[in-house]
Amino acid sequence: MPRSLLNLSPRLRPAFFCLYLAAQLFLLFRAQKSPDLLFGFQMFNASSQLKISLFRKVTRRGRSRVVPVHDGSWETKDRSGTRHTHRWQDRVRYPNLATLDQFVHASYGLEAQLFRLQFALRDFALQLSNDEETEALIAEVDTLKNGREAGHVRLQADRR
Amino acid sequence: MSNFSEAWRRFFAEERDALVLGLLRMAISALLFFNGLRRILELSRDGYFADYFHLPLIPEQWLPSHAGYQLLLDLQLLASLCALIGFLPREALLSAASLGLYFIACDRLQYHNNRYALLLLGFLLAFTPCDRSFSFVRGRAHTLPREQRNGPTFARRLFQIQVSLIYLGSTGGKLLDADWRSGQVLFMRYAHMPEYCVQHGLPVPAWALAILTSAWFASVAAKAAIASELFISLGIWWPRTRRLALWLGVIFHIGIELTARVELFSWLMLSAYLAFVVPEVRERRFEFVPGHARAALLARLVALFDWCARFERLPLASPSNDGAAFYVTNRKGQRASGALGLAQLAEAIPLFFPFWLPLALYAKLSAKPPGAVSSA
Repeated sequence: MPRSLLNLSPRLRPAFFCLYLAAQLFLLFRAQKSPDLLFGFQMFNASSQLKISLFRKVTRRGRSRVVPVHDGSWETKDRSGTRHTHRWQDRVRYPNLATLDQFVHASYGLEAQLFRLQFALRDFALQLSNDEETEALIAEVDTLKNGREAGHVRLQADRR
Repeated sequence: MSNFSEAWRRFFAEERDALVLGLLRMAISALLFFNGLRRILELSRDGYFADYFHLPLIPEQWLPSHAGYQLLLDLQLLASLCALIGFLPREALLSAASLGLYFIACDRLQYHNNRYALLLLGFLLAFTPCDRSFSFVRGRAHTLPREQRNGPTFARRLFQIQVSLIYLGSTGGKLLDADWRSGQVLFMRYAHMPEYCVQHGLPVPAWALAILTSAWFASVAAKAAIASELFISLGIWWPRTRRLALWLGVIFHIGIELTARVELFSWLMLSAYLAFVVPEVRERRFEFVPGHARAALLARLVALFDWCARFERLPLASPSNDGAAFYVTNRKGQRASGALGLAQLAEAIPLFFPFWLPLALYAKLSAKPPGAVSSA
């Protein structure tokens, strides 16, 4: 008979069984509260869509204003006058979030994608170097929940 | 000792034939292999996930380096290959599944229900005696003799519970969602069907598209999907409903595979159904007339596709009196030929299982009522 370390002794079996089951049930119930339904086995949970439009909050000549980001990229000059290009899609490759200014399917539902987008904005804002004028990144998101308009969401990530 | 503690002790001490678990191991390992291969392709196509936006569930310091990640992916692929061919299969399964779970913890953006389900089932299977059959590194002795194949079955039960939980999680989410219950979610999904058919050159008639994209069809389909998942998740536990639940599951997943992109999910669940096969083997009999062309062909098909070793194949010593070319005897000892015999074959052979219910219904409807004797 093949020997294996994974042949649990009769004393260990109930502990393993109960522990695994408890962990699974905990994760299943916890998933209901998680925005992206992580570990919840919720397949085909929504037919929702979202459209992300990206903006930058910049300060020019002492005045703060919001400017649109076209195609996810913009150029800045650093203090030495060197030009730098910042591209959203270079950093955010997750397809649901990388596509800007057009409606895309929101895998795992709107809440999941908005949750991820908030982190993506923060991540991108923190990675911006050589950009003296951008103070914050703003995502204006139009949402369609299962075909119906579900409102407009504004997410913001400050660089500081 | 109380009844409960006796049942508890019996549950964890129960030992059954592990032949089918070997088959299940091969299926899950193959899926783990393809899952690992996809990750390697994703790495070469998209680059190292931690070089761009990712969402780890564990501290950033616990993430592997680019080279480390590549190495772990290669290891996962190798482990799933080892599990497939039967070289330290249980340890290999555990390694492949654990590495996959670690990758999910490294980046929750890479979480997909089907991949997670595959890893959990692979993990659990490692604790079953799935190494006692189809271990091809043992050469011709790849499957141990029957008396050496018996092994503890508690982990198989856990595997079955996990399958049930997958369906329950899925159906629970849908039941709690008003848009799902009303059919709105499916309505939106089906609304893209005409466009999809045009893109893929599918010749679906206009009237069929009109039905598929109607609100009432989506509503009926939603309720049917919820009821199916619920029935599968619970029906697989009762011997009286298990066969029907598994059949419904097979049809359900074939339907999903044909109409949606769900990666390996359909294949995974169809493979997982092997855990619900009665572990004991050769409890049914297939008898055939050797000289009869169709019976001989059927016998060859049984030999080829009876992967779960359900049938004892026996040539009939002499042709039967009723002119039947073959007989199938099921576990209850019911001997049948013709359509009912084919239904009894289909119910036990994985590849033919989708035909079981149509054949059984046909056999039932076309059977002569008892007492109806030909006057000729």
